[in-house]
Amino acid sequence: MNLSWRTASRIAWRETRASTAKFLFVVLAVAAGVGALTGVRGFSQSFRATLTAQSRTIMAADLTARQFLPAAPEQIANLDQLVASGVEHTLIMETVSMGSSAMVPIDSEAATPALMSIKAVDPAQYPYYGTVRLNPPMALKDALENDTVAVASDVLIRLDVKVGDKLHIGRQTMRIAATVVSEPDRMSGTLNVGLRVMMSREAFERTGLMGFGSRGAYRYLFKLAPTAPPVADVRKSIKNALPDSLVADFRESNPIITRGLDRASTFLSMVSLIAMIIGALGVAMAMHAHLQQKMDNIAVIKSLGGTSRDVMGIYTVQTLMLGLLGGVAGVAVGRAIEAIFPILISHYFPMSIQSRWNVDAAAQGIAVGVLTTLLFTLPPLLAIRKVQPALILRRGMPEAKLPWRKRLVETRAALAIAALILAAIGGIASWLAESPRVGGYFVAGLAVSLVLLSLVASFLLQGLKIVLKNFPVRIPVLARQGLANLYRQGNQAQAIMVALGLGVMFTLSVYLVQHSLVAEIVETAPPGMPNVFLIGITPELVEPIQALIANTKGVEGTPEFAPSVAIRITKVNGTPFEQLPTPESGRRFRSGRSVMFADAKPDSIGIVSGAWWKQGETQPVVSVDEEAAQRLRLRTADRIEIEGAGKTVNALVVAIHRVEQMRVGSANEFVFNSAALIGFPATFYGGVRMKSADVGAFERAAYKQFPAVTVINVVEALAILQQVVDQVAVAIRFLSLFAILAGAVILAASVAGTRFRRVREVVILKTLGATRRHAGRIFSVEFLTLGAVSGLLGALLASVFSGLVLNQLLEASYSFDWKVTLLAVALTALLAQASGWLASFRILRQKPMEVLREE
Amino acid sequence: MPHSENIILHAQGITKTIDTGTHRVEILRGIDLSIPAGQFVAIMGASGSGKSTLLGLIAGLDSPTSGRVMIDGVDITGLNEDKLALLRGCKIGFVFQSYQLIPTLTAEENVLLPHELAGGAVAAGLTRARALLRSVGLEDRLDHYPVQLSGGEQQRVALARAFMGKPPILMADEPTGNLDSVNGAHVLDLLISLNEREGTTLILVTHDRVLTSRADRIVTLSDGKVVSDEMQTTVADAAGGESRV
Ligand SMILES: Nc1ncnc2c1ncn2[C@@H]1O[C@H](COP(=O)(O)OP(=O)(O)O)[C@@H](O)[C@H]1O
Ligand SMILES: [Mg+2]
Repeated sequence: MNLSWRTASRIAWRETRASTAKFLFVVLAVAAGVGALTGVRGFSQSFRATLTAQSRTIMAADLTARQFLPAAPEQIANLDQLVASGVEHTLIMETVSMGSSAMVPIDSEAATPALMSIKAVDPAQYPYYGTVRLNPPMALKDALENDTVAVASDVLIRLDVKVGDKLHIGRQTMRIAATVVSEPDRMSGTLNVGLRVMMSREAFERTGLMGFGSRGAYRYLFKLAPTAPPVADVRKSIKNALPDSLVADFRESNPIITRGLDRASTFLSMVSLIAMIIGALGVAMAMHAHLQQKMDNIAVIKSLGGTSRDVMGIYTVQTLMLGLLGGVAGVAVGRAIEAIFPILISHYFPMSIQSRWNVDAAAQGIAVGVLTTLLFTLPPLLAIRKVQPALILRRGMPEAKLPWRKRLVETRAALAIAALILAAIGGIASWLAESPRVGGYFVAGLAVSLVLLSLVASFLLQGLKIVLKNFPVRIPVLARQGLANLYRQGNQAQAIMVALGLGVMFTLSVYLVQHSLVAEIVETAPPGMPNVFLIGITPELVEPIQALIANTKGVEGTPEFAPSVAIRITKVNGTPFEQLPTPESGRRFRSGRSVMFADAKPDSIGIVSGAWWKQGETQPVVSVDEEAAQRLRLRTADRIEIEGAGKTVNALVVAIHRVEQMRVGSANEFVFNSAALIGFPATFYGGVRMKSADVGAFERAAYKQFPAVTVINVVEALAILQQVVDQVAVAIRFLSLFAILAGAVILAASVAGTRFRRVREVVILKTLGATRRHAGRIFSVEFLTLGAVSGLLGALLASVFSGLVLNQLLEASYSFDWKVTLLAVALTALLAQASGWLASFRILRQKPMEVLREE
Repeated sequence: MPHSENIILHAQGITKTIDTGTHRVEILRGIDLSIPAGQFVAIMGASGSGKSTLLGLIAGLDSPTSGRVMIDGVDITGLNEDKLALLRGCKIGFVFQSYQLIPTLTAEENVLLPHELAGGAVAAGLTRARALLRSVGLEDRLDHYPVQLSGGEQQRVALARAFMGKPPILMADEPTGNLDSVNGAHVLDLLISLNEREGTTLILVTHDRVLTSRADRIVTLSDGKVVSDEMQTTVADAAGGESRV
C-alpha cells in the first residue's frame, strides 16, 4: 500500500463530510442494529434477574437439599465447613401429623383432630429470601417461640379456634400466635398435604413428632454470599456433603418456574441473536448501497493512480469509522431501550432496572457493530479490486465474462469470505447466547437460508428476464418497467430479496416460536387451574361433595376428581424391591405409595418419553413420574409389581411423565390404567378453582358436612406462581413485538436505502412525459413483487426454522399455520411497498434538472 | 402581439438564482426569448454561460426564480410536476448530452416509451418506433440493450425516442458533446434531417461552428445574458425573424 493510513483516513473523512445524509443513513442502520441487540440483551438480563429473584423467593434460598433422613453428624460438619466460603445453611423439617383444638374437652366432637402439615424452621434464619407474612403483622421469630405456632387460616376454620387459642400437637400444647398469610416457599415444600402449622425447630423437638420411623422430610436451605463460589460448584459440594439428598438451585425452585425460566432464557437469547442478525442485515444493506454508489469515485481514484489496496484502505477506514460511530450511537440507543422497556411493561409487573452502567455490554455492542459492519462490507470491499477505471467512461458496462477457470477462483474467494463471515457470526452468536449449540443452530439456519434464498432469488430473476423477453403478449409498459427493474444491471433486487427473505424468516420465527412457547408456558399454570384441594374423599362422598361445590359461591370452572389407591411396590423387573440397587433416596418407595388410575391422560401431566395407552387397554400399564423413575431407575418397557388389597399386579411401564401443573394431594407419581387397579379400594382427591374471598366460607361448609375431608387452600401460593408465568409470557410477547417491529423498521430502511439508484430513472421518465402516478406504479409493481416473493420465501423458511428451534432447543411443539404464512407474505409486500414509496416520495417531487446536473 | 399564434415558445424575463448556502449564484440574469414554430435556433456560448440552465427552464425541467415561460400558449410557470410531465410528453422532445436511455429496456422499447406513457396503442406505436429506428440506421439493433450499443448508437436511439411523440418542439443539449467528430456529425445530420422531415421547432445547444451555417437563428449567451441574437441571412424566409424577437 502506497498510501499511509493517515492519508487514507484523511481521504475517507473528506468523503464522509461531503455526503453527510447518506452516511448518516448507514450510521443509523448500524445504530439501529446494535441498539436492538444491546437493548434486548440488557432487558433480558434485567428480566432474568427479576425472574431469578422471584425463583429465589419461591425457594426462600439459593439452593436446597432435601432428603428423608436426618443428616449424619459428619455430614453436618461438612456443611458447616461450607460456611467459611460464604455458603450459609439452615434446616427445615417437615412432617404430617394430627392436631386438635385444646380449647374443648378432649373427648368432645369439636376436638376431632385434623391432618396438619408441620413445618419447623429456625426463625432467625428462615427465610433467606422473601418474607413470611403473618396476621397480626409481626416478625416470624416473635411468632415462633418454644410454645407458640403460626398456622394457616384453614386451621382456624377447621378446628374452630382463633389466634391466642391453644392446640394439641404431638406431646405439646401450643398457643397460636398468628395466622400465616403467605409463606414464600409454600410450593417447594415436600409434605403439603395438610393444614399448615409453622413452628420453631426447638418447639418441634418438644413435640417429639420426628421420632424414629416417622414420615418426615429434611430440607436444607442454602444462601450464597456474594463471595461464595459459583452455584454449580456449591451444588457439587452440597451433593458431596449430602449424597442422598435431592439438590436444587433457584433455577429449579418449582418445576413449572424452572421450565418457564429455561425456555424464557433460551428464547430471550434467541431474540437477541435475531436482533443481531437483523441489525447486521441493516448494516449490510446500507453498506452495500453505499459502496455501490461509490463505484464511480473508486474508478476515478484508480484512474488517478490509486491502487486497489489504496482504495480498499480508504474504504476500510471509512467502514470502521461508520461502524464505530454506529456502534457507539447504538449502545446509547440500547441503553435507552433498556430503560424504557421496564416502564412500558410496568403496567403488567414491576421490574427493577439495572441502573449500573454495564461496560461489558457496551463493549460487546460496539464490537458487534464494528465487526458485523466490517464483515458485511468485506465482499463489496473486495469487489473494489475488480473495479475498472474504464467504469467512468462507460457507466453500466457489463463485466467481461471471465474464463470458467478464473470464475471458479473468483467464486472460491467469495465462498471463502462467506464461510469466514458465517464463522465469525457463529462465534458472536455463541458468545451472545452463551451456548455454542444455540449459536450453531443460528449459523446453520442463516447459512442454509442464505444459500437457498440467493439461489432461488437469482433463479427467479433470471427466469423473469427470460419470461419477460419472450412473453407472447406485450405487458403494459408500467408493469413491464417495474418487473424489468428487478433484474436490471446494478439493481440490488437479489440482495434485497435475500435480505428481506432473511429478515422475514427471522422476524416471523420470533412470532411463531413466541406463539407456541407462550401457549405452552401459560398451559403450565392456566388461569382456571384448581387452587383449592380436597383430600381423603371416600367414594360415597364424591357425589355429595360435588353437590356442595355446585352450590358454592365463587367456584370457577368445573371441579376435578381423581382416584387414589394405596399400594406397595414389591418388584421391579422381577427383582424383589429389597434387592434393588436403588440409591438411598429410593428407599422411601418401599413403604406404601398412593397411586392413581386414569384412562385418558390428565391435563396436569405431560409425557416425557414413551406413549400414553389407548382407551380400553386391558393389560396393566403404568406411566411413572420423571423423578420417581430416576430414583427407581425405571425406564419404559420395564415392569413393576405392586401389591395392595391382597392382590398382586404386574404392570408394564409404557411412559414417563412430568407433572406440568401442580395438583396438591394428587397421587400422580404413578398413573395406572383403570384395568390395572380394578377392585382396589380407592379414595379420591378433588381440585376446584375458587375466588380467593369465597374459600373461607367453603372450607367451613365442607368441614361441617364432611369432617373427614381435608381442604387445602393454595390460592395465595398459586397466585404467585401464576404471576410468574404471566410475567414470563408478557416479557416474551413484549420482546417479540419489539424484535418484529425492529425487524420491520430495519428492513424498510434497507429497501429505502436503495432509492439513490432510482433518481435518474425517474427523471428520464419524467422528461419523456411520465407523471408521478406513472412512476409510482412502476415502483409499486417492483416493490410489491419483491415483497411478496421475499415474504413467501421467508415465511416458508421461518416455518422450518421455528419448527426446528421449538423442537430442538425449547422442547415445545410446532404446527404449521398457513394463515400466518399468507399474512406474512401480504405484510412483507405492503412493508416493501410502503417503505419503497416513502423513500421515493422525495424523488418523485424533485425537479428533473436538479438531478440531470449531477452528471 | 402580432403573429402570436405562431410563437410556440415564449420566455419572458427569466432569471435563475441558486443559493448554495455559502453564496448565491446568479446563473441567468433576465432572458427574453420568443421562438416561432418551425424555427431552428442554435444556442451558443462559453461553458458555464447558462445554456443548459436555460434549456432546462424552457423545457419545464426546472422552474425559474422569476419570469414566465409559455409553451404553445400555455404558461408553464405555475404548473405542478405532473402537469409539466404531461406537457413535456406531448410538446417536447429532449436529447441529452449523455443519452439517458433506460438501461432495462431495449432500443425499440426505449423509443416506444413516450408513446406508451402517453397511453397510445402499442401496435401503432411499434410501427413508428421501427420506422424511426430505421431512419437512424438501427433497424437491426432493435432488441439490443443500451449497454450493448456504442455512444453514437445510443444517441441515435435517443434521437428516435425524442421524435417518437411527434413533439412540436425538440430540444437538444450538446447532443454531440460525448461523441467523436465522425459520429457527432452523423448524429447531427440525422437530427437536422429528421427535424426537416417532421417539421419540428428545434432548439439546439452546441459549440459546433459548422452548425451555425444550418441554423435559422443563433442566440449567444454570456454570463447568464443574451449577448447576441441574429438571424442567419443565408436562409431566405428567416429575414423577418429579427423583428419578431
Ligand atoms: N445547481 C447549481 N448549483 C450551483 N451552481 C450551478 C448550479 N446549476 C448551474 N450552476 C452554475 O451556473 C453556471 C451555468 O451552468 P450551465 O447552465 O450548466 O452552463 P453551460 O451549460 O452553459 O455550460 C455554471 O457556472 C454552473 O456552475
Ligand atoms: Mg451545459
